[in-house]
Amino acid sequence: MTISPLVSLRERLPQLKLTTDATDLEHYGRDWTRRWTPAPLAIALPADIAEVQTIVRWANETGVAIVPSGGRTGLSGGAVAANGELVVSLERMNRVLGFDAADRTLTVQPGIALEAVHNAAREHGLIYPVDFGARGSCQIGGNIATNAGGIRVIRYGNTRNWIASLKVVTGAGELLELNRSLVKNATGYDLRHLFIGSEGTLGLVVEATLALTEAPPASQVLLFAVPHMQALMQVFGACRSRLQLSAFEFFTDRALHHVRAHGAQAPFEQVSPYYVVTEFDAADEAAQAEALAVFEHCLEQGWVSDGVLSQSEAQARSLWRLREGITESLAPHKPYKNDISVRIGVVPAFLQEMQELLTREYPQFDVVWFGHIGDGNLHINIVKPAEIDYAAFIAECERVTELMCEVLRRHGGSISAEHGIGLVKKAYLASARSVEEIALMRGIRAVLDPRGVMNPGKLF
Amino acid sequence: MKILVGYKRVVDYNVRIQVKPDGSGVVTEGVKLSANPFDEIALEEALRLREKGIATDVVVATIGPADCQAHLRNGLAMGANRAIHVVTSEAIQPLTAARTLLKLIEKEQPDLVILGKQAIDDDCNQTGQMLAALWNRPQATFASKVEISGSTAKVTREVDAGLETIEIDLPAVITTDLRLNEPRFTKLPDIMKAKSKPLESIPLESLGVESGDSLKTTAYAAPPKRSKGVMVKDVAELVALLKTKGLV
Ligand SMILES: Cc1cc2nc3c(=O)[nH]c(=O)nc-3n(C[C@H](O)[C@H](O)[C@H](O)COP(=O)(O)OP(=O)(O)OC[C@H]3O[C@@H](n4cnc5c(N)ncnc54)[C@H](O)[C@@H]3O)c2cc1C
Ligand SMILES: Cc1cc2nc3c(=O)[nH]c(=O)nc-3n(C[C@H](O)[C@H](O)[C@H](O)COP(=O)(O)OP(=O)(O)OC[C@H]3O[C@@H](n4cnc5c(N)ncnc54)[C@H](O)[C@@H]3O)c2cc1C
Repeated sequence: MTISPLVSLRERLPQLKLTTDATDLEHYGRDWTRRWTPAPLAIALPADIAEVQTIVRWANETGVAIVPSGGRTGLSGGAVAANGELVVSLERMNRVLGFDAADRTLTVQPGIALEAVHNAAREHGLIYPVDFGARGSCQIGGNIATNAGGIRVIRYGNTRNWIASLKVVTGAGELLELNRSLVKNATGYDLRHLFIGSEGTLGLVVEATLALTEAPPASQVLLFAVPHMQALMQVFGACRSRLQLSAFEFFTDRALHHVRAHGAQAPFEQVSPYYVVTEFDAADEAAQAEALAVFEHCLEQGWVSDGVLSQSEAQARSLWRLREGITESLAPHKPYKNDISVRIGVVPAFLQEMQELLTREYPQFDVVWFGHIGDGNLHINIVKPAEIDYAAFIAECERVTELMCEVLRRHGGSISAEHGIGLVKKAYLASARSVEEIALMRGIRAVLDPRGVMNPGKLF
Repeated sequence: MKILVGYKRVVDYNVRIQVKPDGSGVVTEGVKLSANPFDEIALEEALRLREKGIATDVVVATIGPADCQAHLRNGLAMGANRAIHVVTSEAIQPLTAARTLLKLIEKEQPDLVILGKQAIDDDCNQTGQMLAALWNRPQATFASKVEISGSTAKVTREVDAGLETIEIDLPAVITTDLRLNEPRFTKLPDIMKAKSKPLESIPLESLGVESGDSLKTTAYAAPPKRSKGVMVKDVAELVALLKTKGLV
């Protein structure tokens, strides 16, 4: 009879919250992807850094793999535990530890929800600017592990730009404090950045100090109806040249169809193939006048056919809901998700080629386009037709992804813009990173996690 | 049929209200100001009645400072035919507002006046009722459904016990509740068109309204901060704590 390794974990940490309850195993064993059947060994919910460290050391001794687990809103299977791993959920480590007014930083535990960070920053009259639809559930630890982007990247960049300091427990069980909130620190390799976007493969984020910034002036939200794909980037250019943008997003009529089926209000009487949601600083009436001028110009050029402007925060939110509600409205259909990017300059050519490719390859599927087009990031979701079997559907999507990778390679793009590689995009990593780069990543991994206990099977 | 709609400007519903450090009022500088949500619903209802062919003329009116013009333009952009701006730099109270609106009624002769059930800045919930009394016409407050046929209106009201349906003769005053409708978005082409729609400014003094402001605000204060919670180990400790605090 083999003794469960959990016995020795319990011995070492009698106080540790540990569960093997079947519903917990299922709940904590998966993220937003629904492709894998959760099968973790157990779920650990540590209360502090010392417990995390002991867990990692135990994993090194027993060889049990660890899956770091945040809000499990991830879309790439990074937090999936399907092979007898120990899921380490950081959800109980969810407190704000401190605010420093001079540094303008907020120190938090990794399990705090993104929205709670927003609220805490606002308490101090500042903002934490990384933001996106999963804000209520995703955690700062997960955001760091995926270098999350979102809807304000165009103005503020990704999560990476906002991490002043990190405490991590490496795969070898060492506790590191990286950068200590220094603005300037020219002392060699900045290891902090290795952990940002590492998808839980190098260690666990156990504390983070986030940089905050001042709130932008009051803003307004514009929604444009755009008659054809090539006009999208023309509209972007027109908006960017005259308005201070904090977001520039697009979606298609198919996407609108799904959010409306989910209860959203239609913005226009007329259907349009494309829509743009953009948010701009509107401190005074002059900004609204500029927005009107942009609209008039775009109308004359035939780049937009209609538009609405939010008159209140409530309206701004309803317009945002049209864009932010898409992922949720599609979830019941278990879509195949593409999260691809190219540099902004090649977006028009890339869009053209992608449209041709997808029209040719997916004549029978519901293809839903949306995303952060102002950052060159497209989310293309393929919705499974009811009559096709799930496995066959995925196989068909993967065939097309190979072709998509070809197009991406030609344009110097990326197969994962912000969701990470996880399990979902593993097969395509080589389309975006060279053989040498991947070898180096493995080398770094081997140094920080010599026994390979951290999230094995993810990323590469 | 002509409809007069009250359209007040208030601090946006989603803005976190901050009290001025000296307690003399709330901060409005640099703060997003929007239409009172209930007034937006009132305007939406009037526009729908016009779209159904029941109304022909929708007039939005606001009583407020000189910079309320942009706010009225928003009402025009949403679809009102005309706007009336009663200009005053002073904040006024419900009775004065009702007396002012009565002057506008005398001037405009509307068949229906739609107001919000309350404005979210002072939450008074008085103007509509006072106006109906001064005008000596029927009132239907807290409307969640309005059906007009001929010279009567059937109005469903949200009351404590549920829904109440009443029939009133027009002209009358109706005040809106939240569920009456969902206001439309404002279209950019309509914002452009609104620039040339008629907007009439009338100084409040010129209307000869007797002030009904009889309340004096002495101070503003933020609600007390919620004190931090305490963690208890078990039920016994909880009970003991509640007892020491005199809560059980
Ligand atoms: C509605 C919706 C909208 C979304 N929009 C966006 C968007 O606009 N931009 C974007 O970038 N993403 C978006 N996402 C994807 C997802 O929300 C983000 O990737 C998010 O950052 C994941 O955080 P999480 O806490 O849920 O992480 P999880 O899903 O729990 O985990 C993600 C990865 O991080 C690892 N991890 C988690 N916590 C830690 C930790 N403490 N230490 C080390 N590793 C850890 C996990 O092992 C896993 O590999 C969206 C998701 C949804 C459902
Ligand atoms: C008057 C003055 C003012 C200064 N002010 C500042 C300041 O405000 N902020 C600041 O950060 N620094 C400042 N410095 C320091 C210095 O100028 C900077 O560090 C600068 O970036 C060094 O550039 P360099 O080309 O002179 O590098 P070098 O001195 O030639 O080399 C610096 C290092 O970089 C390596 N290196 C050089 N080129 C390469 C390459 N192509 N690939 C790989 N490694 C390479 C070298 O091996 C060496 O380790 C100042 C220096 C002076 C003299």
